[in-house]
Amino acid sequence: MRAEELKGHLDALLLAALEGGPRHGYAVMESLREATGGRLDLPTGTIYPALRRLEGAGLIRGSWSVVGGRRRREYRLTAAGQRALSGKRADWRDFAATVSSALEGGPWPSPA
Amino acid sequence: MAESGLITGYLAALSADLPAGIVDELADGLDQTRRQYLELGQDPDAAAQSAIADFGEPQVIVDAFTRASPARRTARKLLASGPVAGACWGTALIAGRAWRWPVPVQARVVLGLALMTVIALLAAAAFGRRYRSVSRSGAAACLAIVALDSAMVVAAVLVVPALIWPLIAAIFVSAIRATFAARTLRLLLAACAHSAL
Repeated sequence: MRAEELKGHLDALLLAALEGGPRHGYAVMESLREATGGRLDLPTGTIYPALRRLEGAGLIRGSWSVVGGRRRREYRLTAAGQRALSGKRADWRDFAATVSSALEGGPWPSPA
Repeated sequence: MAESGLITGYLAALSADLPAGIVDELADGLDQTRRQYLELGQDPDAAAQSAIADFGEPQVIVDAFTRASPARRTARKLLASGPVAGACWGTALIAGRAWRWPVPVQARVVLGLALMTVIALLAAAAFGRRYRSVSRSGAAACLAIVALDSAMVVAAVLVVPALIWPLIAAIFVSAIRATFAARTLRLLLAACAHSAL
């Protein structure tokens, strides 16, 4: 999956990756890779600006630590970020249901 | 583990445009990516090349950070709301017959110059392509807006004989803009303290 296809959904993915606890940028990327079975093909460098943007919006909070002599920045969800993630999940379910029903020609999920 | 010359060069390219705090964060991620490739059996140079390829071109990263910069987003909001503030003050000044107010010509000239400077700084922050200059222009614009809008509010309260509703609206809009600019300025200064703009 390419970065362009994720436009509009990257924020939700990053917030979801942080839902399990604090992570640094590389761990966020790894979490997304694992969660999607390696199908996400994002340039790793673009994750970091997105994290800073979410931090600026108050949805996540960053803090520094030193690991192996190198500075590391970890991010954690804020209460506002948790609420935003819940909203984005609900929006995604509506969107997926609507598009799926249009593409499949019937209600989604299709009856067994 | 020694850092590859390739990675050192890559980080130097990023350092030319980005503050130290951001480069430190990227360096940590790049190092972890390189270690992962080393564990997969690549030799050090190949691992460094693979890590750099994963991260993408330095200019793409710099552009992404510039777009995400709080200075840029604030400058765009202030520019977009500028006409509203201008219309409020224009209406208030006309309704209050500002040309009759006892304001020296020099003060009017200084106010006009300050206004043009703020607009130029906001435009530089809103449309600039270099992270550092966007941050600096944005911080300067926020500081100037706090000063300018505060001065307008104080002058209006002191000079205007009677407060009329267009003036109250203009004061309200200026107070909101000044508060927003002050909040962003605080964030920018805090970021500056942490990572040196």
